[in-house]
Amino acid sequence: MADKKLKASAKKRGNRLGLWFFKISLRLFGLSGAYGLLYLVCPYYLIFDRPGFSAGMAYINRRYRDHNFLHKIYYVYKLLINQGKNLIDRYYIISGQGQFEIEDQPDERLEALFNDPQRGGILLLAHVGNWQVIMAGLGKLIKKPIYLLMRPEDNVALKDMLDVDGEQELVKIISPEGYLGGVIELTQAISRGHLVSIMGDRTYGADSVEACFLGEKAHFPYAAFGMAAAIGCPVIVLFSAKVSTKKYRIFYPTVIEPRYSSRHNKRQDIEGWIQKFAKNLEDYVAEYPFQWFVFDDIWTENSINNKRL
Amino acid sequence: MSDNEAQELVEIRKKLKTMLVENLSLEDVNPDDIKADEPLFGEGLGLDSLDAVEIVVMLQRNFGLEVKDMNKGREIFYSIDTLAKYVYDHTKASPES
Repeated sequence: MADKKLKASAKKRGNRLGLWFFKISLRLFGLSGAYGLLYLVCPYYLIFDRPGFSAGMAYINRRYRDHNFLHKIYYVYKLLINQGKNLIDRYYIISGQGQFEIEDQPDERLEALFNDPQRGGILLLAHVGNWQVIMAGLGKLIKKPIYLLMRPEDNVALKDMLDVDGEQELVKIISPEGYLGGVIELTQAISRGHLVSIMGDRTYGADSVEACFLGEKAHFPYAAFGMAAAIGCPVIVLFSAKVSTKKYRIFYPTVIEPRYSSRHNKRQDIEGWIQKFAKNLEDYVAEYPFQWFVFDDIWTENSINNKRL
Repeated sequence: MSDNEAQELVEIRKKLKTMLVENLSLEDVNPDDIKADEPLFGEGLGLDSLDAVEIVVMLQRNFGLEVKDMNKGREIFYSIDTLAKYVYDHTKASPES
């Protein structure tokens, strides 16, 4: 069972023998030992995983504009190392070898929202820190159901790790492949006072608008803000960061209450909210440059879909 | 269906069309131009998933309705006709909602 989970976590990266080495080193030497293996394995991906390298470089080129090419290659290498740690951390929890300390200090306003059974909201996440580990922690900290919008088959490991959809569990999955991308279920969940978690930094082909990010226009999905404006609920930006081997920290940089200024001004309103989110993300990567694992060139996507905004 | 019921359905259709145009920023669309049997999403009226959010909210705020059985979502949200029928059936069953 644990084998399947680790394989699902690693997806296409890593073969059976490689995963076996990681599991054994995790059992024998703990987290630090397993991390150590990454320094030997990641050069392989740096050289042969061309799509991964290009996508990582798209970010590094903009984050470190003035640095030379060799430095940039080293930074992509650091990104790969940290992503590897991310996967090992997930497996560490899945396999029951231990837990991570999660530092979570929401302010009074957020605590009130999290404890209000009537008030729902949207948790707007990004591919930073380790959102899967954080979700496992949040499910225990927040005493109201949290719905994740994701394809269950893409995150089998996460599904098992959170024991989502179990009778007692508060974390549930809504598939974006359902009717109308699952938005009807999401909307109803929020209306019942529940929380919905959506990724805000990668479009996956969904409608997007542009915002200035690291000095250039980048594409961000806007569904979270469109939903929040229609429902009248808050969007809580939530990031996490690995701050030591066994500790993660949760941040809530902004709570946005999206309301359209007028029916004819939706586009400008949404662009303003997206720009706030992009600024939050920019501040994050300034502090934790090697913990953003979007691995997608969000600056040069093929098209912007926002037909009716 | 009695004349009374048919008349009620006509009223609900009319109300839904007006609400769609007002809430979804359907510029250049007159409520009377929306065909009751044309698909709301994709081809037809061309609404998208964010519009679906607005329709769900509209049903909740104006009629106190929630679609509990998501397997029927596609059927209910297909057209003004199907939506009106759903509203009629469910508000009639529990007038206090």
